[in-house]
Amino acid sequence: MNNIYLITKREFLTQVKKKSFVLLTLLAPLMIIGFGAVIGLMFKANESHNVIEVVDNSGLFKGQLKSNDKLEYIFVPVADEKSKIKNLKGNESLDGILVLPQISGNNFDDLEKNTRLVVNTKIGLDTKQRIISDISNVIKKEKIKQLGIAESQLDNLDKNFELRTINVSENNKEDSDLAFGVKTGLSLGLMYVTFMFIIIYGVRVMRSVLEEKNNRVVEIIISSVKPFELMMGKILGVTMVALTQFIVWISMSVIGALVLNTGFSSIQKNIPGGNEEISDKLDIAQIATQVSHSLLDLNFPLIIFVFIVFFLLGYIFYSSIYAAIGSAVDNETETQQFTLFAILPLTLGMYGSFSLMNNPDGPLGFWLSIIPFTSPVAMIARIPYGVPAWQIALSIFLLLATTIFMIFLAGKIYRVGILMYGNKATLKELWKWIRS
Amino acid sequence: MLKAEHITKTYNAGKKTALEDFSIHVPKGSIYGLLGPNGAGKTSFIRIINQITQADSGDVFINGEKLNPNHIKDIGYMPEERGLYKNMSVGDQILYFGELKGMKRNDALNEAKKWFEKLHIDQWWKKKLSELSKGMAQKIQFVVTVLHRPHLLILDEPFSGFDPVNANLIKDQIIELKNNGTTIILSTHRMESVEEMCDYVALIDNSKKIIDGRVFDVREKFKKNIFGITLSDVNNEQLQQFQNKYEIFNLSEQNNLISFDLKNTVNQNDILLDLVQAGKVRSFDEKIPSMNEVFINAVGNHS
Repeated sequence: MNNIYLITKREFLTQVKKKSFVLLTLLAPLMIIGFGAVIGLMFKANESHNVIEVVDNSGLFKGQLKSNDKLEYIFVPVADEKSKIKNLKGNESLDGILVLPQISGNNFDDLEKNTRLVVNTKIGLDTKQRIISDISNVIKKEKIKQLGIAESQLDNLDKNFELRTINVSENNKEDSDLAFGVKTGLSLGLMYVTFMFIIIYGVRVMRSVLEEKNNRVVEIIISSVKPFELMMGKILGVTMVALTQFIVWISMSVIGALVLNTGFSSIQKNIPGGNEEISDKLDIAQIATQVSHSLLDLNFPLIIFVFIVFFLLGYIFYSSIYAAIGSAVDNETETQQFTLFAILPLTLGMYGSFSLMNNPDGPLGFWLSIIPFTSPVAMIARIPYGVPAWQIALSIFLLLATTIFMIFLAGKIYRVGILMYGNKATLKELWKWIRS
Repeated sequence: MLKAEHITKTYNAGKKTALEDFSIHVPKGSIYGLLGPNGAGKTSFIRIINQITQADSGDVFINGEKLNPNHIKDIGYMPEERGLYKNMSVGDQILYFGELKGMKRNDALNEAKKWFEKLHIDQWWKKKLSELSKGMAQKIQFVVTVLHRPHLLILDEPFSGFDPVNANLIKDQIIELKNNGTTIILSTHRMESVEEMCDYVALIDNSKKIIDGRVFDVREKFKKNIFGITLSDVNNEQLQQFQNKYEIFNLSEQNNLISFDLKNTVNQNDILLDLVQAGKVRSFDEKIPSMNEVFINAVGNHS
């Protein structure tokens, strides 16, 4: 045990003391924020303000085509049409002229046929769509008016139907769309975090094994400790590194949120992707309370418990695979063929879990969250929606048993592999090592 | 100190034999050479002593006690394939290996300081290994091996990769350790280091022990009673008579000196009496085979 502690400590300290680790840990959150900001800016920079002059021969559109900050309509006298078009070329303050024809006998098809947009420069698809939609709206209103329906009646027709869902298994709690959105966001976020951490840190375990093998330091250590102790110490050491990084990032988010001092941002930072469902039409403050309300309604102790258990077990499960891979090959380029075995099931679990959003309790979700190879990501993805206790228990039991079995297998491969230099083991050889 | 009895080790489900019925006895406080070509089974045996692998059959005893995990801290092992962590400071590294061998941190620190002074490398404590030259790294490697004051030191090809200066320095340290009572097993395929340093030797070839014993005895055993003789101021007539009487070969003449080898069948003092008639005896010595010749001979006889 003492040896595992010593190895864990060394693994942890050497990795944490690396400049690259310190830099990445401190800068990654800033980089993500910065990256987001850059993308936002890029979209912002690409937004244009178009000025369109309207020659309205029909007289229907005056006052109906509404300008906004992206598109500005300026109505000009009908008489100016020809001179305006003549002067359009080279006019930098004007993007185009919309010519709406005279309308006779409410023949709107004729109107469509004869409406022209004369442009100066290339006009974006976005702007064109907006103009089309603005014109159609006006025409629609006009047509409705001709049917003899009052505007208030019309509004009444458009009223949304909201379906209230009441979940009897969760204390008759109301399950709003927003709450479902929050759960989906939380589910995706937690799943993605787990997936990334398993891949990134699993590979780190593999590198560390390879490094010892390439340094030829491994035989010296093996003369002092059991190969199994070395492997476990390594996996646990990297686990500590991962947790450290995780804790630092969470603390940074919390501190960041406190500094910003708005309740809303604390929710936003803690739950990546938690606010995807929110449409910008609603009042931010109101949404914030609703989101936090939905979040508070969730069974957090259970979610945290399940997250920690599946995160750690899943990570140890896959790390032992990675450790075995690292021991069986001689350099990193040779690992690719084998890492596929580790990445494929996990990826399967993750993409499979995307379908959970449609049906969290369906058979796919069930099996993905029970089978040990995919359960680390799938169960974490499912848990915000609520999972029956027996399924959680069964899944934990299976994952735990498989993890112990996998460590045992990896230990066997590792024991032989670390002392083999100069050739890559074949699958057949690996099988032989396991059986020996 | 160490006794190995009837060790057999196979790989690949018995298809490849690494050691076959291998027995040796290493006396306390001696330097014991394991001699043999690459792939003879030396490293397999060493890995068994270090409990990295296990023998299929046979037993190893240390001080009469059957080999067990408690012995690990009594053994210092420098493998043939060696190295250290590149990104770790020398000091941290040495303490880490010391602790892995069950030393207390402070104990390891004090012992390391002693060695660093002895090898004049105390200024390297805080450097990373990647900043050191190869020679320096080799010294650190040696300190790592001996830090925990092992009673049994196992060195697999200790001088491979060492430059001559460091090799000598390490050799002196090994001899000093031996004089202080450490038992040392030295595995090598370089015969000259065996002749220089070892008290005992075992020859291994093709996974079997061919011969073992004191280096002196082994060489004596393989001598063929051949004497090398050099004469000056030769009396040709007498030499001719001498040649008729004894079996002489490799005759050569250079700068009025005549050299030849002689296969002795009688008392060597009788030869000398005859020789003084033939000329002035410049040299007369019995040819004791080098370990190299012993080895070639032994392997040749064996197979």
